[in-house]
Amino acid sequence: MPDFNVRADSVNVEDIMRQIRARVREKRGVDYTEAQIQELASAKLERYLDPDKVRSELLDQFKQISAAPDVEFEEQALFGSHRRLVRLIRWGLRPILKLFINPDKLVQATRFSQHVELSYEVLHNLVVELTRLGIEVKNLKMRVESLSSRLDFHERRARALEGVVQYRPGALAPPRSPADPGAGGAAEGAREPEGPSADGRSRRRRRRRGRRSGGQGLQPGDSQDTSGPASEASAGTASQADEPGTRPPRDPGASGDTGSGSLNQ
Amino acid sequence: MKLAVVVQRYGAEINGGAELHARYIAEHLARHADVDVLTTCAKDYVTWRNEYPVGTTRVKGVTVHRFPVSRERSVRRFGRLSDRVFHRTHAIADELAWLESEGPTSPALVRHVRAARQQYDFFVFFSYRYYHAWHGARAVPERAVLVPTAERDHAIGLEIFRPPFQRVRALMYNSLEERDMIRAVSRNERVPGVVVGVGSEVPERPLAERFRQRFNLRDRIALYIGRIDANKGCGELFAFFRQYAQGSPDGLTLVLVGDPVLPVPDHPRIRHLGSLPDEDKFDALAAAEVLLMPSYFESLSMVTLEAWALGKPVLANAHCDVLKGQCLRSNGGLFYGNYAEFAEALRTLERNGPLARALGANGQAYFTRHYTWPVIEGKYLDMLETLQREPAAATASEWPIPGWRERRRATVPPASRMLERIPKGPSRSHEE
Repeated sequence: MPDFNVRADSVNVEDIMRQIRARVREKRGVDYTEAQIQELASAKLERYLDPDKVRSELLDQFKQISAAPDVEFEEQALFGSHRRLVRLIRWGLRPILKLFINPDKLVQATRFSQHVELSYEVLHNLVVELTRLGIEVKNLKMRVESLSSRLDFHERRARALEGVVQYRPGALAPPRSPADPGAGGAAEGAREPEGPSADGRSRRRRRRRGRRSGGQGLQPGDSQDTSGPASEASAGTASQADEPGTRPPRDPGASGDTGSGSLNQ
Repeated sequence: MKLAVVVQRYGAEINGGAELHARYIAEHLARHADVDVLTTCAKDYVTWRNEYPVGTTRVKGVTVHRFPVSRERSVRRFGRLSDRVFHRTHAIADELAWLESEGPTSPALVRHVRAARQQYDFFVFFSYRYYHAWHGARAVPERAVLVPTAERDHAIGLEIFRPPFQRVRALMYNSLEERDMIRAVSRNERVPGVVVGVGSEVPERPLAERFRQRFNLRDRIALYIGRIDANKGCGELFAFFRQYAQGSPDGLTLVLVGDPVLPVPDHPRIRHLGSLPDEDKFDALAAAEVLLMPSYFESLSMVTLEAWALGKPVLANAHCDVLKGQCLRSNGGLFYGNYAEFAEALRTLERNGPLARALGANGQAYFTRHYTWPVIEGKYLDMLETLQREPAAATASEWPIPGWRERRRATVPPASRMLERIPKGPSRSHEE
């Protein structure tokens, strides 16, 4: 890998930290101040992230409270007693009491406060879930970022490795004459592996080579059919003529073809 | 010139920051002057239990006189008094009681300092916050040179520490931030002072590969060296690093060197090697990609300087003004104020090798410029010679302790409130 150095006197920590903070802002989306983050973290999360406070029967209770209550029954509960005498006195004095206060509203207020409590709990649970999801999303984002950076690294590495590919001069066939198809075929045969699949692969490579060499490999009027030995030889020759042994390494990104030479890394 | 270095503990095996600092200074000044060390018999900085024998001994060529500690520290009493003086309105008597309970309470050492006043040209007191420095400097203010080793903690806000800063002959600061903080607290601009710090015994050629082989470490390393303690920011470091490791599966491995006070988490990318000898420590630094310094409070981080001496970049806690200031002035390290910055800065150092090397080179240049031994010795000798030439100012005199009634008047604001008033942030000065 080529090594390079940053000039030490050109490094400014203040600038680097500015860039780091900018990158952090980019990732975070919203730029909270440190104080805001501390406030968010300390004030609420601890309380919300307590799984003991989540009740499984919450929904049932909510339904019970939400169902229309029997006000009379509630009044019964308000004025009732297990002692008969007390109950009688209370019921007897009820009209007088109703002159001063409205017990119906009292019942409603009690019910409402229960409602508020439950709504509050539901909100808490929502916040718990949202917080968990938020954290999960953040983790996943970091993971994606990590994977993409690894991918970038591997791509760079692959490109760098391909950049140092050298064609071994001895492994290359000498330039052949288009008039000598037998020699070209023999040379190809010596380099390509045996078997029908290898043969198919080499044919495909030759075809690609022919296409890439454009007008040089196939002259106007030549047949595009690659099934015959003559056309194979002509495509192969055009490719070889384009690749002298001393040629510098090609950009592998532009060509995936390594079939005609062996790789030295 | 005859000098006495007065420090709370002293010994070749004591590796605490201020104590090691004192030993290095004593050993190096001994090449230019006649140096004695006056210290206690304590080895443990929590209990101050007498462990060394009373009397005179020699440590690495320096004569050491040891005096007994009269009372071990009661952790409960010290905690109760700390709470009172740091967080509540209190009296001067409470602060004096706090100082005694902190220790090392050695009246014999203070008596000796007072008695030997004429034997020494100067007494170099280390660590302003301890009993020996406060009472010792009070006994011989006209010959007292104080190396405060002050951190931005509550103790600096105590009322009793203003007089020593104002009345000693000179102060040898560890950093510009420490100097600014002490000046803000005590308004002692008239007292001669110089930012010195301390050097380190850095080996010529530490071997990274030897360390890797010895500890079977093949991964790239982020290194922490020091006491593994919540007070040193290690709890936060562990939390941050675990999160970072989750997001960077191929990233650095955290290697910890030092004694644990805090349990080290069981994590595949965190390795704890325990306390190591100096050779291994420097090999570890040579093998590391970066040194992590998570501490919130530092007067001067010797290990940071050692990392820079070996050309390694540092990632420091931005809440510590000293470390942040040094990173900015040296251009030798990055810093973080929260997790996002920690992760981003660590990834930058991990992936951008040329940048990390350039930061390390800057750190090395900074170390060479300010913290090599000839520079440090030169600053001490210049200051001492100047003090010897010039007469002591009238302010360099024994400070009075308020009377019985005055001492008990609970009118002193809590130290935490004082601390809030001290300006924060790295020093803007570049005169280091």
